[in-house]
Amino acid sequence: MAKSKTNTEDYLRMYRQMVRIRTFEDNANQLYLSAKMPGLTHMYSGEEAVAVGICEALTDDDRITSTHRGHGHCVAKGAEFKEMFCELLGKEEGYCRGKGGSMHIADQSHGNLGANAIVGGSMGIATGSALRAKLQGSDDVTVCFFGDGATAQGLMYEVMNMAALWKLPVIYACENNGYSEYTRTDEIAAGSITARAEAFGIEAHKVDGQDVLAVNELTQKLVARCRKGEGPFFVELETYRYHGHHVGDINREYYRSKDEEKDWRENRDPIIRFRAYLVDQGIASEEEIEAMNAEIEKDATDAVAYAEAAPYPDASEVDMHVYAD
Amino acid sequence: MREITLSQAVNEALAEEMRRDETVFILGEDVAEAGTPFKVLSGLVEEFGTDRVIDTPISEPGFVGLAVGAAMTGARPVVDLMFGDFLYLVMDQLCNQAAKQHYMSGGKLSVPMVLRTNLGATRRSAAQHSQSLQALVAHIPGLKVALPSSAYEAKGLMKTAIRDNNPVVIFEDKLMYQDKAPVPEEEYLIPFGEANVKREGKDITLIATSSMVQVAEKAAEMLAKEGIEAEVIDPRTIVPLDEKTLLDSVKKTSRAIVIDEGHQSYGVTAEIASRLNEKAFYHLDAPVLRMGAMDVPVPFSPALEDITVPTPERVVENARKLCAGELIHAA
Amino acid sequence: MPHDVTMPQLGMAQDAGKIVSWLKSPGEAVSKGDALFEVETDKATMEVEAQADGFLTGVTAGEGEDVPVGAVIARISESAEDDTPAPSQASAETGPEQAADDLPEGHAVTMPQLGMAQDSGLLVSWHKSPGDAVSADDVLFEVETDKSTMEVEAGRDGYLAATLAEAGEEVPVGTAVAIISAEKPDNAVARSAKATPPLKAEQTPAAEATPPETTEKRPAPKPAAATGDRILASPKARRLAMEQGLDLERLAKAGHPQPYHVADLDTLRAMPDAAPASAAPTASRRLVAEIAHDGLPAFTDWIAAAHGPIDPDAVIAGLAAASLPAAAPVAVERFGQSTTYALPASRALSGVSETEDAPALTIRDLRGTSLTGIDLGGEDTPVLTLTTQGAGLTLTLECKAADMDARAAIQLLSDFAGRVEQPLRHLL
Repeated sequence: MAKSKTNTEDYLRMYRQMVRIRTFEDNANQLYLSAKMPGLTHMYSGEEAVAVGICEALTDDDRITSTHRGHGHCVAKGAEFKEMFCELLGKEEGYCRGKGGSMHIADQSHGNLGANAIVGGSMGIATGSALRAKLQGSDDVTVCFFGDGATAQGLMYEVMNMAALWKLPVIYACENNGYSEYTRTDEIAAGSITARAEAFGIEAHKVDGQDVLAVNELTQKLVARCRKGEGPFFVELETYRYHGHHVGDINREYYRSKDEEKDWRENRDPIIRFRAYLVDQGIASEEEIEAMNAEIEKDATDAVAYAEAAPYPDASEVDMHVYAD
Repeated sequence: MREITLSQAVNEALAEEMRRDETVFILGEDVAEAGTPFKVLSGLVEEFGTDRVIDTPISEPGFVGLAVGAAMTGARPVVDLMFGDFLYLVMDQLCNQAAKQHYMSGGKLSVPMVLRTNLGATRRSAAQHSQSLQALVAHIPGLKVALPSSAYEAKGLMKTAIRDNNPVVIFEDKLMYQDKAPVPEEEYLIPFGEANVKREGKDITLIATSSMVQVAEKAAEMLAKEGIEAEVIDPRTIVPLDEKTLLDSVKKTSRAIVIDEGHQSYGVTAEIASRLNEKAFYHLDAPVLRMGAMDVPVPFSPALEDITVPTPERVVENARKLCAGELIHAA
Repeated sequence: MPHDVTMPQLGMAQDAGKIVSWLKSPGEAVSKGDALFEVETDKATMEVEAQADGFLTGVTAGEGEDVPVGAVIARISESAEDDTPAPSQASAETGPEQAADDLPEGHAVTMPQLGMAQDSGLLVSWHKSPGDAVSADDVLFEVETDKSTMEVEAGRDGYLAATLAEAGEEVPVGTAVAIISAEKPDNAVARSAKATPPLKAEQTPAAEATPPETTEKRPAPKPAAATGDRILASPKARRLAMEQGLDLERLAKAGHPQPYHVADLDTLRAMPDAAPASAAPTASRRLVAEIAHDGLPAFTDWIAAAHGPIDPDAVIAGLAAASLPAAAPVAVERFGQSTTYALPASRALSGVSETEDAPALTIRDLRGTSLTGIDLGGEDTPVLTLTTQGAGLTLTLECKAADMDARAAIQLLSDFAGRVEQPLRHLL
């Protein structure tokens, strides 16, 4: 981990963004637990370093496509709590006017092309965004987030083939959290994940997804190379989700042990690790960090209260936005 | 007026729009030097280069997915899907992704793309290259569906489709590529949702799409000799559908047959017949008839294949019965 | 501010959880993230963590108790001494502030969701009456759903302040059916679900978006048409017939084949008007007279002998014309042939002559035929029919009511009958 005074701001921002994701998810989980949130949601807690490490290497012009487990990507790409909680509760002021919900939040102003509820469903969109960049001579890069489970979808191979053929500025970010829904990844994926990309001649990397600096450093390099026309790239990020596949997946012992969960939470947590690093390096004091955490907690509490009180969309909205003008 | 083929008309529309708007590009299998198996796109790569006329691998879901992403971020792709039958391969990208982005994002994202494909049997291509699957996509809110019935419509509708901010699926009749029709030299667009009254009549309305428009026109000529004046209407787009023109005609004639080459059950004909029934019931002097392709996979043998699609003779027979007040299919 | 501890929603299809054990005791200090209690649901046991720092207070649900999702079961307070009980067992679902109009204040007991695909329950019976004191585990009412009957407990101690549905009523899930108050109510309320504005649990926004009162009131089905068999006709033919006051049933009665189309309306329009019998303004008069002796043949013979040959019909016409209040032409019709005669001012039968004028009366001479009586209805002119009746005759006068009033008709017929029986009277 390189340290330098000039990075202080970036580091604190990365820490802050990770805590924002964790805090958002804790509050979202509470909304579900207290039966205040319609439907289900998929928690990103535990994987914060992946979204933050990558998105901190991107600008608002760079695009991402996200997944059903998308709150982390959305926050990391710059979204606001208020609009996100409103969307989770189906309120008019949500990012999608309550029409998308947890699994479809899109925030175009920050380059988030949207979460996608079809596993692997956004791989075409991400690659198409990169194709557009290349055709139009634009230097933006698109990052396609997907999980290990999505590597079993055929679309991935079709679009990686084209991305490699046409040298498109796209980074395929495989968040390998070890489980494809309720099944261990090694039961659904034969061979190596990175070898899949390498077969197309795509440069592939494997990185510790719990180390935000490592993720960020690698992404910065790959983004820069993409801008120079050296894409596409593939990154496998080893990470872990603390919750079940979704908030209703509570009895998980038939596919993973509580000890395993405990080990990741206690010994490999990206926030705990990075906090210790910041204090150790003298970048922030414990008090400063506590103050930051408290401020984020308050933001979230306020946003939740705001969203709970916010109005639902008017019934007249139901057939609005089916077609664009 | 000069006459050009439907194939030339599509080619002209694409070339004009690509000259007009540099974000328009073509994507699909063998679209560049090959100009597609039907040669519809011949010559475009010479003018616009391989950056704008892009040959893809045989990966239909893949390149349709790319088109969705390109459209969402500022381009206007025209995807070439070599056969309408391949729609089944791209359903997720077209129906879950392209069709829903605008709605799911509360109007923030849009997908201005065109998916060019074709329909039509009796080309001896058997069950996986002969289907007319317009009903399949017309069922999906968020997609628009255009069905040109001649070179004139093919050009005008294609230009409108490219300028539309929604995903548009446009089906060309693959048997009609070499059919000529008068097409003006000067630029024109055909707006979506405006039906074309091809022939006026007072006794019965024949509503026909795409390949079936000429079937209806032939039937109308035959009926005229028997003293039955048939009105022939081509909706041109089924989403959006020009209900008013159809209803006005049926209110005038009191009788209608709806003809479309898709399978008859749960199809385009059923949808239109149902709307006429709902909205012009008290003007109907006879049941509205559907005439679609038989509910069988398209057979290969010419002896069988020709039976599966509506013909002018069968349209005439049905029209005659309706005008004679015979209660067709009465229990 | 104390933090409510609620029964969490955990599994996908879960509506309650059983508290297996409390891992903290009342008054004990807890930190956010501490395991607070254990819950059993969906066949799994879960530890539930504290969401705030403070002291566990106000525990209202004991070990082994099944608690609905969202119900408040304890608090985390700033002081260990805060022993105000948790405000309500289900504040997440229904706050007392939601109590509608003039209902007593208290905790709303809602129709529970029991089955998987259930949206309402049948309230079978109440086990408590309004005003009764109730304990949390008292059975409050019985519900039938998904083919089974369930007892629903009060869930808290207090008084049954209101029942908002009657036995036998179907109540949507989540709708309040009772209110339990802490104080004994002054005026306990008993209502029907129909009379109760929905006191809806806030659990799903969908429930708010579509309030139950929007349920469409179905119009009463129209009574079946009074006429017998259904007539088959196209929608357009029916509509035009209705607009133009045409009765398709007439086509059916006339035997025209169904179904009817617009073209058949032309046939209907061309059909003669309906039978006069059915039309009051065209009602007829029919009068019958019988005479024992037909005097005409002998009379005609007598005139011929006295004055030379004479047309017998002219004699009949003359006698009839003389019977009219004012002499007018009379036609005599026999075998379809009709001749009209006029009586001279002298009233002399010998002066009766043929005329082209329209008759005021027709004598239909059916003597010598097998017809003995007729009833043909009024025609354009009054008709007086002669039929043989033994040695005598039956005289039938038929006319439209409008053409001749009753007195004139009676006068005509009785005069004419007298003259036919004794023609010589004419000469007197």
